[in-house]
Amino acid sequence: MTTETFRQFIDRLDSAGQLRRIGKPVDPRQMSALGNQSDQACLFETIEGYPDWRVATALVSSRQRLALAMGCDEKRVAFEFEKKIAHPIEPIVITDAPCQEVILEGDDVDLTALPLPLMHLFDGGPYIAGTFVVSEDAEHGVNVGSYRLMYRTPNETSIDMVSPSDMRFYYQRALDAGKPLPIAVVIGVHPLDMLAASFKAPIDASEMALAGGLHGSAVELVKCRTSDLKVPAHAEIVLEGELLPIGWTADEGPFGEFSQISGDVKWNPIFRVKCITRRRDPIFYMLQMPWENDWLAAPVTEAAGLQALRVASVQAVDIRAPVGSCGYWSLIASIRKRPGEGKNAVAALLSVAEVKFVIVTDDDIDIHDPDDIDWALTFRVQADTDAVILSGARAKHIDPSVKSWLLGPGGLPTTAKLGIDATIPEGVPKALYRRIKPYDAGGAKLEDFE
Amino acid sequence: MSSNDMSPLAATMVNSLKTTHQHFHDLVDTHADIPWRNFLLAWGEIRAADILLRDDEGHYYIDI
Repeated sequence: MTTETFRQFIDRLDSAGQLRRIGKPVDPRQMSALGNQSDQACLFETIEGYPDWRVATALVSSRQRLALAMGCDEKRVAFEFEKKIAHPIEPIVITDAPCQEVILEGDDVDLTALPLPLMHLFDGGPYIAGTFVVSEDAEHGVNVGSYRLMYRTPNETSIDMVSPSDMRFYYQRALDAGKPLPIAVVIGVHPLDMLAASFKAPIDASEMALAGGLHGSAVELVKCRTSDLKVPAHAEIVLEGELLPIGWTADEGPFGEFSQISGDVKWNPIFRVKCITRRRDPIFYMLQMPWENDWLAAPVTEAAGLQALRVASVQAVDIRAPVGSCGYWSLIASIRKRPGEGKNAVAALLSVAEVKFVIVTDDDIDIHDPDDIDWALTFRVQADTDAVILSGARAKHIDPSVKSWLLGPGGLPTTAKLGIDATIPEGVPKALYRRIKPYDAGGAKLEDFE
Repeated sequence: MSSNDMSPLAATMVNSLKTTHQHFHDLVDTHADIPWRNFLLAWGEIRAADILLRDDEGHYYIDI
């Protein structure tokens, strides 16, 4: 069994009535605005000035389409994600790959031949986002992550590496040795591959194998033309090259961040492209910010929360990374609680990546209903005993409240974290929370009296 | 590379950036009639010349 490809998923969206095909000619400067207006995924089939290309966007900019990619119910995405990554499947390597139908090296490398989109009003340039970036370290092995690239010249981009990541660690090691770091930037992979790339796996875990677990079959890889890196064989486009050993010295940004903020200018490394491989009829993938990024982030954050709760021996009933927190900075979980586990759950969830706000409720609360959460916060919380604050934890630059502009190039910010135990306090009888119900609610039916 | 060695489009953009600090979209707006790929090639020339500066608000400019 082979894994579903990027273009096969687009076909499946089409079959499910979730794809809008746009046949009229579209300029790359218009694509972001058009995609943003659609409640369906979009496939631009005619790109002005780029006759061989199509552009897809907003493939998973709703939980509904993300659930479609996962093949499960919307409320089960996190649980399904966590279950599948627990059973990774190692990739296999093939030699004849669609992503290498066209090979461009040397003077033929020209990023302007790609329909690079101008995505947001205040972006510092055209961007390639929603990437699947492969790197390797001699000691720590292969890593996959997702990084954005800002166009600079026909063979150079800047690349956002201000946040802590395994590839940033690999780059620092190469930089310390005065060497470039070979990488491969893959564009147009299946959303499940994107989820695997986004998951904050341990440094020795294989994101390719996690992707295989999510697909339920091995991902097929092919060796790059200019390095030993291996990339998904059925991808649309691959940019092979290296991160120059210059450190965080090139301006990058602003970019319309997944925090829904325009961001600021950052200082980042430069990626020099040595080879472009692609399909004969490539489909460029334009990530639809912020929603597509947020919906891709949510299950990853939720699954990390489920794992943290499992390690803490707390029984999770439901979990949600709200889209208002960009699927990244907040977690709300309901648990089947034993004494003290409200606090254990808060502590566990606050340990997840850059999650900075946590609410834990009992399992009688519907955490998908904001009013129900407010009710629990109001009647089950005493601020002096149920709020937990941690200082100096790991943060992300794009949160303006961490004042990252004070850090200088390459600096890493920290943040405070707040957790609220909104479970029924120990010592308070459950009976005091008995909800009101109308008398004869199960018997009297309004329609019988009309 | 000096602006004398650049394409006419890149040279025009350089002169504009010497005059005022501009967001990238300001340049795009000014050259909306230019095919996108030509615009990007010209922008690449300016980038390659390593003459662009940024201010605190993300504007580009070139010191005379």
